Amino acid sequence: MIVGDLKSLKEIASSITGYRKVMVLGCGGCVTVCRSGGDAEAHDLARQLSHPEHHKGFPPDFVVDTIERQCENDLLKSYLKIPEDAEAILSLACGAGVQIVADAFEPLPVIPALTTTFMGGADEPGVWREKCRGCGDCLLACTAGICPISLCAKRLLNGPCGGSRSGCCEVSADIPCAWARIYTRLEKQDRLYLMDEHRAPRDWRKAGHRGPRERRRTGIELTYGER
Amino acid sequence: MIYFQVNEKCNGCLACVQNCPARALESREAGGIQTLLHNMARCARCATCWRVCPQHAIEFQHMLQNRWDEVVAHELVRCAVCGEIVHTVRLTEGLDAKVRNMAQPLCSHHKMEQQAGIQAGRQRPSQGVAS
Repeated sequence: MIVGDLKSLKEIASSITGYRKVMVLGCGGCVTVCRSGGDAEAHDLARQLSHPEHHKGFPPDFVVDTIERQCENDLLKSYLKIPEDAEAILSLACGAGVQIVADAFEPLPVIPALTTTFMGGADEPGVWREKCRGCGDCLLACTAGICPISLCAKRLLNGPCGGSRSGCCEVSADIPCAWARIYTRLEKQDRLYLMDEHRAPRDWRKAGHRGPRERRRTGIELTYGER
Repeated sequence: MIYFQVNEKCNGCLACVQNCPARALESREAGGIQTLLHNMARCARCATCWRVCPQHAIEFQHMLQNRWDEVVAHELVRCAVCGEIVHTVRLTEGLDAKVRNMAQPLCSHHKMEQQAGIQAGRQRPSQGVAS
């Protein structure tokens, strides 16, 4: 899932200065599950922002709504009802959702309330950790299901660096060395021969270094009805 | 079919309601009875309720594997020759009159045979609608 963190109240309040009515829009997808941008957080944020201490003048009026996914343009246009007098949308979605809402309702200003932090998962209740950087060329099959692109600070492809100590990264003793983990798991799988494989430098254009990426599946446009 | 189900261990503590990040669970009290309600449209199926339930009362497997809900039923049109399903009666009704007359109840195979027969100057096959 995509994980996000709520920006500081000071920053959010500053970004909505001057608007008289703001729609606070939660997202029912990933950010609901990681407890940063769902319906509960949207109501909570509106309640907190209503306090005069965050504003130089009068606080704006807030209306709160949540839609299942802010990252679906046609879903938004069909089902999201924005009050006519709303002057801005404060979106609690990830960066993708914010942009798609902004495109769908241009020129209405759409302001992010979250900072999108990473793609990850919950290792344990309440703890989400980065797992994937969307590099566009997955090598998990060779690394025992542990991603060195997202879990190694240096994104090394051919084993640990000299800073790996007792299974920990030189960046911090609290961070496990990704390659130490890969080695240990491959050993358990009796697949240590994969450590001997040499991986050439990657083509980072697939990771987005050549501009925004796009996935097209032909045929979809024909099966979607016009709305 | 109810997706969100609890077993007999549920004691109404409402830990699930208090912890649901999607606000998909609600408790209503009326006439001395507390009722737990679930809104599937709001539910993110994150399983937080299942994790936090101190009674282990939430049968979350129903949220992951469930029966199919019947949504709508339509009368079918079958091929007049072989009986293969061609389309629904409702779909034919939605076509404009000119196209509707062309939408004969024939499968693609028998439609091709019919076309070949017309081209060869033979008689068209009989037509009919079977449900």
